[in-house]
Amino acid sequence: MSDQEPLQQPIPRRQFLAGASLAGFAAFLAACGTQGTQSQPPTAGPPATSGPPATTGPTAAPTPPPSPSAELNFANWTFYLDPDPEDETKFTTLEDFRAEFGTQVNYQEVIDDNDSFMGTIQPQLQAGQDTGWDIIVVTDWMAARIIRLGWAEQMDLGNMPNVTANLQDAYKGVSWDSTDDHHVPWQSGMTGLGFDRESTGDLTSVRELFDLKYRGQIDYLTEMRDTIGLTMLHLGADPAAATRADCDAAIAEITRVQNEGMNANFRGNAYARDLTRGDVVLSMAWSGDMVAALPDNPNLGFAVPSEGGMLWTDNCIIPKGAQNKYTAELMIDYVYRPEVAARIAAYVNYITPVKGAAEILIASDPEMANNPLIFPPEDVLARLHIFVGLSEDDEAYFDEQFATVLGL
Amino acid sequence: MRFLRQHRGLVPYLLLAPGILWLLLFYVAPGIVMLGSSFWEGSLERGYAFSLENYTNYTNALSRFQPHFVRSIEYAGIATLLTLLIAYPLAYGIAFRGGRFKNLLLFMVIAPFFTSFLLRTISWQIILGDQGIVLGPIKEAGLLDNNFAIISTPFAVIAGITYNFLPFMTLPIYVSLEKIDIRLIEAAQDLYASRSNAFRRITLPLSLPGVFAGSLLTFIPAMGDFVNAELLGNPQTTMIGNVIQNQFLTQNNYPTASAISFLLMAGILIAVAVYARLLGTEELTSGGV
Repeated sequence: MSDQEPLQQPIPRRQFLAGASLAGFAAFLAACGTQGTQSQPPTAGPPATSGPPATTGPTAAPTPPPSPSAELNFANWTFYLDPDPEDETKFTTLEDFRAEFGTQVNYQEVIDDNDSFMGTIQPQLQAGQDTGWDIIVVTDWMAARIIRLGWAEQMDLGNMPNVTANLQDAYKGVSWDSTDDHHVPWQSGMTGLGFDRESTGDLTSVRELFDLKYRGQIDYLTEMRDTIGLTMLHLGADPAAATRADCDAAIAEITRVQNEGMNANFRGNAYARDLTRGDVVLSMAWSGDMVAALPDNPNLGFAVPSEGGMLWTDNCIIPKGAQNKYTAELMIDYVYRPEVAARIAAYVNYITPVKGAAEILIASDPEMANNPLIFPPEDVLARLHIFVGLSEDDEAYFDEQFATVLGL
Repeated sequence: MRFLRQHRGLVPYLLLAPGILWLLLFYVAPGIVMLGSSFWEGSLERGYAFSLENYTNYTNALSRFQPHFVRSIEYAGIATLLTLLIAYPLAYGIAFRGGRFKNLLLFMVIAPFFTSFLLRTISWQIILGDQGIVLGPIKEAGLLDNNFAIISTPFAVIAGITYNFLPFMTLPIYVSLEKIDIRLIEAAQDLYASRSNAFRRITLPLSLPGVFAGSLLTFIPAMGDFVNAELLGNPQTTMIGNVIQNQFLTQNNYPTASAISFLLMAGILIAVAVYARLLGTEELTSGGV
């Protein structure tokens, strides 16, 4: 045993030297970096602070920065990343990321709705095991729940200079992530009416969702907050201040139309497929999807109802125990480069949370400024509601009530 | 070896050991854990507490989800009957009239298994969709009302279960028919039994073990199935499997979910016991598959 002692000595010193030289390199990189909305390569920067790291002089990194892993497992929703125009099965952003970092991203569009996806990884998270995913994208209320349960990795913002520099201020300081480093917004969007213009004409009122002339040809969403929220707006209640009584009233209204033969299906992302195929002509819909689905059905339209629509944000989370946390941070940071964010926004047609992306989009195509899905006009913004943050008890109550309309 | 020779009595147990260990590890142990959690109270975030007084989980679940239990028995029962009606003539045909095509025909029965169960069910969704390749043209021609639907009806759910479980019924029946000594049937006819009489008094009773095995293999998984109801049904056709999935994975209500699972297991055990008694288990297992 004792003869191993001397052998162990030099290693920490070598590690220290390596660390010191890398820290020097990092300082050099940081000095070269520019502020604001420019892209910055990730550096072994200072310990996590809220300011842009490029401006503060880095101190010696405690450990040498890890290198990007060979692969990264990324779970997302459909129509949420720009496909390669040459090859539908590839994504430009991921190809570029691989060219720069050498990481093959295993990108899977497996999230159909928050609950059902969460169901697939919850047992592992509960048991403290790796879920197999390095990045997942979930809506804010689900992100809040994951963080509350301690199932999200704390991100090292030192590795994410673009996120710290380019995240819109409006997204900072949410109540459910006090340190703002367990989630990073992916896109925001609206919930409103999706319809097949040829069959329905242009629709503007949330009343249509409860009009029995669409019986058998209508989808509601399995996302409780979207379906209940739109129903509350139809009933004149405010989803941003929803009470149990509002919930009961909304459930009663859905039950009423279902009993009168509406026969609405409840769908996750699959509603978009139903609409494009013509199985339904009207659905509750997420804003960008209708544009992304246009090539398959040119008659699709989207509207935020005159009574109001829902506003939500989907967030990147690194699940606890993720194998490639560092690379996940690089990936999230990569999409916060304004030019990357601009390209994604142009395809997905959702509201981008990245500063500087809007300017690049408009510079490349002035028409984009008029795209109401990426840049909702003031009057639309005024009609949008963010669903009230529910306590655990209220959430259980709402979920249970909603399950009854799902027939469960 | 010498040890085994000295303790001959142990040999059967040692041979059984892998199977028993497997059952202990993957059936009994999770079962006990689930039995425990069915007496819990609380929530994912607050934590759970065990108390025997929470037997109310069972009574509440039974009263709240009774329609789903009834519907599951109904759907699984009808589907089992339908698979039997389709599978018996099919198996009979393959066993007695298959000739040199026997193997090919059997292969065709199991061929669907080469594609995922989910994919096949989703394909039905697409094929029978309201504007799909079957209904679309018919509606276009004005032969059907535009609101006519196959998907999202009880019919679609039962048909889906029937389709998906057909091979589980066909194969056991085929095996028991195949084993029948053809001379018995010939003897019956020699003794002036009509064809239908020979079938009723010789073939059918001898094939009952296959019918028994096949209906268990169909009915039990069909009772707990949630895929067909999820993909082919609507909120009025949800089965108990959908409820368990929702309680476990969406509502995180583990106590209720566990209680329903145990009620389902108990229900199936009772149903199987009654069924076995009706058909006479002794003979069935002795001549079983």
